[in-house]
Amino acid sequence: MSTSEEISALLVTRFGTDPLDIRPEVPLRQLRLDSLALEELRLLIEERMDVDLEDVVLSSRDTVGRLVAAVCAKAGA
Amino acid sequence: MTGRGPFARRPARPGVEPFSAAVTGIGLVTAAGVGAEAAWRGVCDPAVAPSVENPPELDGLPCDFMYTVTGVDPKAVLGVAAQRLMDRFSQLAVIAAREAVADAGLDPAVWDSGRVGVVIGSAHGGLPFYDEQHTTLTERGARRVSPKLAPLSVVNGAASSVAMDLGVHGPSQAVSTACSSGTVAIGTAHQMLRTGACDIVVAGGAESVRSRLLIASACQMRAVSTRRDDPQAACRPFDTHRDGFVVGEGAGLLVLERPEHARARGATVRARVAGYGASSDAHSAVAPDPDGLGIERALRTALADAGIDALDVGHVNAHGTSTVANDLIEAVMLRRVLGEHPLVTSTKAMTGHTLGAAGGIESALTVLALQHQLVPPTANLDAPDPAIPVEVVSKEARRAPFDCAVKTSLGFGGHNAALVLTRA
Repeated sequence: MSTSEEISALLVTRFGTDPLDIRPEVPLRQLRLDSLALEELRLLIEERMDVDLEDVVLSSRDTVGRLVAAVCAKAGA
Repeated sequence: MTGRGPFARRPARPGVEPFSAAVTGIGLVTAAGVGAEAAWRGVCDPAVAPSVENPPELDGLPCDFMYTVTGVDPKAVLGVAAQRLMDRFSQLAVIAAREAVADAGLDPAVWDSGRVGVVIGSAHGGLPFYDEQHTTLTERGARRVSPKLAPLSVVNGAASSVAMDLGVHGPSQAVSTACSSGTVAIGTAHQMLRTGACDIVVAGGAESVRSRLLIASACQMRAVSTRRDDPQAACRPFDTHRDGFVVGEGAGLLVLERPEHARARGATVRARVAGYGASSDAHSAVAPDPDGLGIERALRTALADAGIDALDVGHVNAHGTSTVANDLIEAVMLRRVLGEHPLVTSTKAMTGHTLGAAGGIESALTVLALQHQLVPPTANLDAPDPAIPVEVVSKEARRAPFDCAVKTSLGFGGHNAALVLTRA
């Protein structure tokens, strides 16, 4: 499963996000991810993909694409 | 007729007129049944047994069972997005609140949301999540701890979740007075309606303590039953062989309204909350006042608040936890204050002791008892304790005409509360 697919799966199963809404250009806040949900998502991605995202700055204004890119960068580091 | 029949109310205090809140809706989520109808059938039908579970969290403890809610999946009912922001006690509260509001015939889309309040009692709130996350902290480190710990574990989680789910914009709050929390919540709602702060208040209690930490402590305290070989018969209030309470989970909520508000919209009134009293033992962190003076004060205050004479009370849904101390002290107090005529029951034998939810669940059951003119039996009462000086209904539900009923609750720390409820 790709990083994008892994994150999409988490959004659908853990946050109840409609899979059709998950597109690279969509801001995370549009998926109803507030600051608390972002921190929860950060933890879930770390657990699932065995990456350390502690120093990745995330805000709900960031897009799905930016999140996937940030995780990919860490996963490849 | 148990109780004197048609009763006359007098002013609670000189110049203070009695006030009755209309109960227009109820919601119940219990181990005896999910939904008011199923829960009522569960506590009245001797053939129904409480839903018992041995959660893995309790493996190896002297008490490794609980009475739990089955037959409803919060994730399916509430949806993933909403459910993830609630610990289980809040989920059960929202399910009960939706039922209560629908039962009242209210539509949150059109009500005056600023005039609606929520008061929900809980003793331990999201303690299970707290317990789980503490284990995560000690075993896996700080960076694995959930950021949701504070918002999910706070005792007000149920009240805020219900307010968000229903779109309530009036006052919402939790009350936490241990095992009397649900009763105090309804009393608080009664006061909010009396002062005109709200037209409608959703009130009661919610609790779910699947926590190894808490149950281990309760075992150490020797407060819980260890009847592991027969858990469905473990909770036996007023029985000679009672050996402690059984922890239960659940939620019980009432929709209370100012009487003129209920009347104006043509609501069906199930019963009325006519009086409320509360007191403090100032005696012990856990034990009730040995003479029951604290709960007596709360009950006498509630009767005075309702302007109703003790002789008019026909039924008591007692705290009746199935501990040796509580049941005797409470029963002796009831005999002293009310006399020998009321039909007493403890429905905890079917629901378990749901701690902060108990007062909400049992008040809802008292409303149903008034409506049906039927007193549920105290299940498992096989050998009535001869020291108990009141008439406890056992084996089968007892049909009896009565116009007034009482709900009593006692909480760790000496928090006592009583409600007087009357027929609509």
